[in-house]
Amino acid sequence: MSAGAADLRRTQELFWTLITAPEGVRAAVEDLTRRGALAGGAIDAIFAGDARLPAAERLDVYANMYFYRLLECLGEDFPRVQAAVGGDRFHNLVTDYLLAHPSEQPSLRFLGRRLPRFLEAHALAREFPYLPDLARLDWARVEVFDAPDAVPLTRRALARLPEDRAGEARFTLIPAFELLPLEFDVVPIWRRLQEERPRENAGARPDDAVETSACASSTDSRSPEAAEPAGATEPLGPRSAPRRRTAVRVWRSGFVVYHRNISEEEARCLEMVRAGEGLARICQQIAAGRSVARATERVGRILQGWIDDGILADVALAGREAARKTPTGA
Amino acid sequence: MSQGANPGHATGGRPPFLGHGVGLRRDHFERVLSGPSRIDWFEAISENFMVAGGRPLDVLTRVRERYPIVLHGVSMSIGSTDPLDEGYLDRLRELARRFDPAWVSDHLCWTSIGGHHAHDLLPLPYTEEALAGVVARVARVQERLGRPIALENVSSYVAYRRSAMPEWEFLGEVARRSGCGILLDVNNIYVSARNHGFDPSAYLQGVPVDSVWQFHLAGHSDKGAYLLDTHDHPVADPVWDLYREAVRRFGAVSTLIEWDDRIPAFERLEAESERARALHEETLRAARKEAV
Repeated sequence: MSAGAADLRRTQELFWTLITAPEGVRAAVEDLTRRGALAGGAIDAIFAGDARLPAAERLDVYANMYFYRLLECLGEDFPRVQAAVGGDRFHNLVTDYLLAHPSEQPSLRFLGRRLPRFLEAHALAREFPYLPDLARLDWARVEVFDAPDAVPLTRRALARLPEDRAGEARFTLIPAFELLPLEFDVVPIWRRLQEERPRENAGARPDDAVETSACASSTDSRSPEAAEPAGATEPLGPRSAPRRRTAVRVWRSGFVVYHRNISEEEARCLEMVRAGEGLARICQQIAAGRSVARATERVGRILQGWIDDGILADVALAGREAARKTPTGA
Repeated sequence: MSQGANPGHATGGRPPFLGHGVGLRRDHFERVLSGPSRIDWFEAISENFMVAGGRPLDVLTRVRERYPIVLHGVSMSIGSTDPLDEGYLDRLRELARRFDPAWVSDHLCWTSIGGHHAHDLLPLPYTEEALAGVVARVARVQERLGRPIALENVSSYVAYRRSAMPEWEFLGEVARRSGCGILLDVNNIYVSARNHGFDPSAYLQGVPVDSVWQFHLAGHSDKGAYLLDTHDHPVADPVWDLYREAVRRFGAVSTLIEWDDRIPAFERLEAESERARALHEETLRAARKEAV
């Protein structure tokens, strides 16, 4: 690297340090100067300012845009988390999160992927113990929103399976699907918080379908004011919730994202499908030594629900392909 | 649609004149697809469509069936001292292959350093070293994408003491040395001119005519001590004046209205685009008359 390029790199690193400092540019400059990392007056020697707007204040314009754009993005991707804790706490959470996990991808779409895990060790999780799970649900909806498309398996395609070999059937789930094992039953909390935000568009199903969208890059610029989320700053989420293991499935049908609490039995079935188990083996596991006929009936009902919700992409018999979905998906 | 030849100019490497477009935004997806519009073309933010599936890609596919599009990126970070993000370039090339845009553009700025992304358009010092770095990276990107790109001048709020040339000279040199096009954001010129105290007309005069592929127009906010490029207002009157001046200098150049916050009804956006069209046509007519 030439001396000029090395100099440019140092300048860019300094710029980044200054605009991402949580206390603002002036505090960051003072801190760097105190630690001997920056010569006194260096900011005004590097950046041009004037009496109307000194260099540090000019850099603060960038610092504000940096933070508020990312705050808005995370608010879009974690709307229930934001509603639960309120605007002020969410603002502080994002400050902490960005210090630990600055964006590593060119697209804002991925900015929030570490937030659910980050919340586990964050002080907010003591105040709102279900928060990491609520964040998992918000994030799963983002992941499913733009996951690959797939034509769902139809009942007609399933009916083409030879009856005597149905036990060998192995299913593939659509890519726009997530199974979440959770410690808290956050679906009712999520729904209540949704009801508190009526301006969001409800989907076709009354209980669990809400249109979602992933955070998108705005174009060239946004003002801190415009990006600052409006809405309540009061926390709307409960301070406590009973710890109760639940499983939630999240999926996309068409372009609408859904989620639903499911039984422990259905969650086990889904895990077995994902592990590549055949239908007969799934029924045996569900029976757990009791009546296989009754277990088969129960699995049949679960399967029916999957077909209705469009979460199966394909079915094949062991050893050879069979009864694939119809080309039209009809 | 008002597509056609580029009157009054040797077209050189300039892409075709697309007419008057607007940025494709989520709020308008339904409206854009539901029927005819007075918009000639749409600009899509590249990064928003670098996804595996779902509604955004479906919408862009259907928009592309009806309209020309341009892919406009915000994260190429052409001015960074980090290595170019090869994965990003792969995704951009794939997107361009799939949607066949009239051209691909990004910004003359840096957006990432040390592997971290600011998601903001940060200014460069206008030095020979920075120029050499940008030119080399543009060449690499153009080779990778198999097509020339256009770079946009950004609004800026701070400048560098060591800048050795004005921004327009830097921008023009990047275009001249790399063969890239220029997306001239007229509002950004006005905002930066006010923030740094230069003459916006001098900027226009300093940009090479044949390199300009596209204009951007947008609204800004007056914060007292500075102007902020907010894209949340109608285009301001002094920016319309500067646009008229730009059309006089650069001729028929595809023009796009950006409106990204406090997004109005699509019809309001159409009206803004129609205003640009009327002004563009009126200015070209007057220029032709003067030439006669």
